[in-house]
Amino acid sequence: MLNRIINILNRRRVRIKKLMGYEDENDFRRGGIILLVHTTADLAEKCKLQLEKLIEVDEVNVHDGSNHYLELSERIVDVD
Amino acid sequence: MDALQTKVEPKPKAAVKESSPEKISGSEILLRSLVEEGVETIFGYPGGAIMPVYDALYHYADKLNHILVRHEQGAVHAAQGFARVSGKVGVALATSGPGATNLVTGLGDALIDSTPIVCITGQVFAHLLGTDAFQETDVINTTIPVTKWNVQVTEAKDIAGAIAKAFYIAKTGRPGPVLVDITKNAQNEIIEAVEYTKCDGIRTYRPKPQLQPSQIDEAAQLINNAKKPYILAGQGIILSGATKELIAFSEKTGIPVACTLLGLGGFPTNHPNYVGFLGMHGNYGPNVLTNECDVLIGIGMRFDDRVTGNVSKYAKQAKVIHIDIDKAEISKIITAHVPVHADAKEALRALIDKCEANNHKDWIGKFRALNEIENEKIIQKEFNPSGPLVMGEVVHLLSEFTKGEAVVVTDVGQHQMTTARYYEYKNPRTSISSGGAGTMGFALPAAIGAAYGAPNKQVVAVIGDGGYQMTIQELGTIMQYKIPVKILILNNNFLGMVRQWQELFHGKRYSFTEMDNPDFVKIAEAYRIKANKVTKREDLVFAIKEMLNEKGPYFLEAVVGKEDNVFPMVPAGASVSDILLEAPAK
Repeated sequence: MLNRIINILNRRRVRIKKLMGYEDENDFRRGGIILLVHTTADLAEKCKLQLEKLIEVDEVNVHDGSNHYLELSERIVDVD
Repeated sequence: MDALQTKVEPKPKAAVKESSPEKISGSEILLRSLVEEGVETIFGYPGGAIMPVYDALYHYADKLNHILVRHEQGAVHAAQGFARVSGKVGVALATSGPGATNLVTGLGDALIDSTPIVCITGQVFAHLLGTDAFQETDVINTTIPVTKWNVQVTEAKDIAGAIAKAFYIAKTGRPGPVLVDITKNAQNEIIEAVEYTKCDGIRTYRPKPQLQPSQIDEAAQLINNAKKPYILAGQGIILSGATKELIAFSEKTGIPVACTLLGLGGFPTNHPNYVGFLGMHGNYGPNVLTNECDVLIGIGMRFDDRVTGNVSKYAKQAKVIHIDIDKAEISKIITAHVPVHADAKEALRALIDKCEANNHKDWIGKFRALNEIENEKIIQKEFNPSGPLVMGEVVHLLSEFTKGEAVVVTDVGQHQMTTARYYEYKNPRTSISSGGAGTMGFALPAAIGAAYGAPNKQVVAVIGDGGYQMTIQELGTIMQYKIPVKILILNNNFLGMVRQWQELFHGKRYSFTEMDNPDFVKIAEAYRIKANKVTKREDLVFAIKEMLNEKGPYFLEAVVGKEDNVFPMVPAGASVSDILLEAPAK
């Protein structure tokens, strides 16, 4: 899944500054990825739509600002 | 075996004790799954890593018709051709390593052209994965960018589920290619047979958008108030089976319709509201008047650059309604003022109810007037030329003699554009071409697939001398199964489209585009296919009729002008309004 997601961003030349991938604690078949990307709002929206097309992707949320990355990734680290 | 025969007597299997629960191999599970999915024809090429499947196939000859191609690329293009004419999922079978990687071009082609196919590849034993084993390739990661979905199966118990998901994903929503990679141990493993369950949903996959009445209302309001509305119909009309709805909508509202390359046949070319073919080599009127309409309605099309030309100069004056099943396509290239995320058929039905009856005769008249200019300057010269044969006259005769009802499969290049312009398609799923990827070599194997997908129709492959030689080995497939494909080569001894660009934009520097070709007639005859070559105008009618009247496969080479160009043309980077009717003066 990581490959599928990164391929889409690579294709659009979106710079990935940081990423964290994780398995769901209770179900190893589920998980998520948090990415900090450097791009325009318009391209982020277009990538969101393309990521949502991936068969196994349930939901894609786009947040503005790198502080969201820290918040979200800290939540995952805390759970572990 | 006769052409298109779908069932033969199965080879007998060893008797099974009745009392024991049925135990079957993963390979047999695969084949049963395909049968449950309604598959009757598979295009494939065996090899070591897929051998257990082929062994099981030996006993399935009465249920599955396997067509042995001559290259795996032929298999995937044949599966595409089959899918494009029939609307069913095409199936290709290949071995691991190079067999699988030979599918990549076709998968990419199917992805961009939204064609539903399932490719099944053999893979090395699971314990050898990642060890650089013989004919091992990381097919999953190789094909991620060129598939709608893919999966690797390492245990027999997972095969049926994977196939069920594969078919569901391939054919639903925006169709596309799926690859299932099955390790050899999974193929060999014997497990208890279970009942096959078709997939009818995947939690994270939402293929069918819900029609939003608010979007329809907004679109209808724009349309009802439009003075110069214009419909651009793409392949989505055909995929949705929405031709009748489009005709009804256009007739009620009086809106003219132009078709994209992959949309050809989705609206009958002899309908009074049909104004032509859109795009880089499309008709004059449809291109020029894109920049005059006030409401542009794109249905099941994606505003590809071949259609838009320079995006910064495209339809700036118009309000754009974009109807598409793929949300990611809406506003991707051209911003939609009214996005309608919906299946084309559903959207059109809703719009028919909401839109008022109208007529735009004067507006349609403008298209006719511009098309008449094109007719005088270009088309009449194509149909009544002097000198060597020209592509246009050949295609025009083909269209007349087949009454626009044949399945015409084209390759890529000048002949493709000429056929799109001059073959008068009447029905959907009769114009088959490689659009988004522009894959040379597509046509010959795709025509094979089309012959199986539409066995009651005449199938004609129109190909250039360049593309023909990319998959010429599939003549062997045609020979072996006596597939009644008519192969029409428009031979100008050049890579014609590239040569045209070299002439127009690179100072006529013909860098590696001239082709020294073999005797194509002799090659066809060596494959036991009847063949002919025509060079003179007075022989053309007879030659085409003889080809069409032949029951079995037939090859006809028409030698055409070496340096003829396809016009009109929207030069790269230009606006669609700047479409050229002839080469620019130097």
